[in-house]
Amino acid sequence: MAITGVPTDVSHDKDNGFVHDLSKRLPYHVENPHPENTVERFLDAFAAVLEHTDYKSLLDSYCRTTNKCNRCSVTCPVYQVTKDPRDIPCYKTTLLLQVYQRYFTFGGWLRSNFTPSSFELTPEVIEEMAEVFYRCTACRRCTLECPMGMDHGLITRLGRYILSLIGISSKALQVSVREQLEGETHNTSKIPKPALMSNLEFLEEEFEDQFGISLKVPVDEMNREYTFFCAVSDYLMEPDTLLGNMAVLYAAGDWDKWTIGSQNFDGINYGLFYSDWHLEKIIKQLVRETTRLKGQKLLIGECGHASRSAHDFVPVFGGAEAYPVVSFIEYTLDCVRKGKIKLNPDIITEKVTYHDPCNMARGGWIVNQPREILKTFVKDYVEMTPGGRNNYCCGGGGGLVSIDEIYDYRMEIGGKVKADQIVATGAKICIAPCANCKKQLKELVAYHKIDCEVIGLHDLILKAIEIPGAKSAAERKEEAELYAM
Amino acid sequence: MIDKWIDFFMGPMFALTFLFMVLGLGRHLVLQLDTLFRRKGDRLKHMPWRKMMKDSLGWAFPIKHLVTGNVIFSNASFLFHIGAILVPLFLLDHIALWEGLLKINLPALSPMWADILTVITIVTLLVLLMNRTIFAKMRAIGRPSDYWILVLTLLPFVTGFLAAHPSMNPLRWETMFLLHLLSAEALFLMIPFSKLSHIVLIFFDRISEVHWQLRPGAGDRVAEALYGKEAKV
Repeated sequence: MAITGVPTDVSHDKDNGFVHDLSKRLPYHVENPHPENTVERFLDAFAAVLEHTDYKSLLDSYCRTTNKCNRCSVTCPVYQVTKDPRDIPCYKTTLLLQVYQRYFTFGGWLRSNFTPSSFELTPEVIEEMAEVFYRCTACRRCTLECPMGMDHGLITRLGRYILSLIGISSKALQVSVREQLEGETHNTSKIPKPALMSNLEFLEEEFEDQFGISLKVPVDEMNREYTFFCAVSDYLMEPDTLLGNMAVLYAAGDWDKWTIGSQNFDGINYGLFYSDWHLEKIIKQLVRETTRLKGQKLLIGECGHASRSAHDFVPVFGGAEAYPVVSFIEYTLDCVRKGKIKLNPDIITEKVTYHDPCNMARGGWIVNQPREILKTFVKDYVEMTPGGRNNYCCGGGGGLVSIDEIYDYRMEIGGKVKADQIVATGAKICIAPCANCKKQLKELVAYHKIDCEVIGLHDLILKAIEIPGAKSAAERKEEAELYAM
Repeated sequence: MIDKWIDFFMGPMFALTFLFMVLGLGRHLVLQLDTLFRRKGDRLKHMPWRKMMKDSLGWAFPIKHLVTGNVIFSNASFLFHIGAILVPLFLLDHIALWEGLLKINLPALSPMWADILTVITIVTLLVLLMNRTIFAKMRAIGRPSDYWILVLTLLPFVTGFLAAHPSMNPLRWETMFLLHLLSAEALFLMIPFSKLSHIVLIFFDRISEVHWQLRPGAGDRVAEALYGKEAKV
């Protein structure tokens, strides 16, 4: 019954095409380790989760229906590179299912008492779970091709959740979440309010330089329609994305309809990757800030997981304050369709492609919207194949992009298929409207020496937008070229 | 003597095992519906039901999925399901059985189509079995049940086909027919416990968006249960 202990030497069997060296384990973080009773603590945590959540019926069903047909392996970008059985989504899922079946079902009890070779949870199995659940990018591509519809991403997440309850998790994720929930700054990048304000001043100056328009970014303004949350790292690393957001809001005449909240301005929600507890707490922080500012909607900047976590979980955890959630891409498309903004089709001459962030596209939520925007002003647009709902993950999904210790893994394994995809398009610009995807893809094109610039959707819009009374897009382009020389 | 066994397994035992299967699958259905409506309740209001149904129905006619992955396996699996659903229900010899047990009168397959579909089912099952045996990656993740459930599913079709074709039947008709009954009833008994329960459960597995509707407050309660009210992130 137990499938743990797929022989590790199989990975070195070149005849079978297994090429990845399993002896190189991915590092994960163990906080306050208690190695003497890991098994007991894991089972206690699992029992508590089963008692207080709704996962039981799902696990009951998956235990029976898991088919082991291997269709998921064909879709998994990690398995496609490693050919390692441990990277087959169904294998990973079974690691957790067999613990559930053995310790929390009547059948498991019967088998353990009346058959000689039943599965037993050991510290080694827990270690293997920690390894494989953090190799998975939780992109959920496998779910589209599973005949049973099993959501391996959800099980990976549940496995990580239970592990996190006994202190096993990624240090990078945990430190960030701790600051976001219990730190003074309430954001994952630990940006204090004075630093935010100085950053916004910088953005205002940049905006004036580029457009010749002086404006003040609204902070803590009350009764605005939109409360804006982006991945907080954008304030540090992606000024052009934010300038693009600002340009759209200004050009559309909505400058007095939005605000940033100084008490909480971080849309990042790593709880989506590994913890129900953190997921809910972070969602409630966003909702509280919107309530404080008497806002009506949450406007989420360019970020896949921030958008999905808000869009999918504000209705679940928001209670009476479950405000509508609008993705900035949806907002911009609405402006384009209503003719509120004008994008100059003569500015972008390079070949452009689009990378679908899994958290936006997999469920079919945001697939056509960015394409519709791009096709209004990009002459040479090429699709990435496969794309849309069936896209490949950038290789940094599921929080992996934040874990610097696994840089090699993300470049050589997690992102290899995506790198090949980008090369195949021949595009010089790859649009990735997600803070995580952008970071991963920027590192990926540099690592694989791909001649392609990775930017956000609103970075490109920033170049082409025409604002009445401001410098034209052509003038700005000329200035930028002069500056580059 | 064997006639009495046939009567027993065709009569009360058939009804009993069939009822067992129905109750077993019914239990799955009730438990899943309970989670769906009683426990998840209001959280289901904003689900994209239309899209979820469309995605699920796409698998009932999985044309685009037949050309992806392991093409032979995908097609064998699809063809198998056609025979596995149609033959047990609409075979002429089964019609009377359903009429007696369930008081329903189903249309009958012609003998030729019944033969064709049965052979397709047997061949595709053998292909699936070979697929699990030949490929290293299949063996790496396969459990014993993944193999024996295929064999168990194969038996009623093989024994039924041989019983219906005396020229190919190496045993007495009565013996083969009894084996047919026994294997079918063993299958009934195993359906609720095995992956064959996807007959019912697949409808719940396929709506994975529903499973992401987490229970509000559960995270706090789990943390408190493990670490008390002062639980830290």
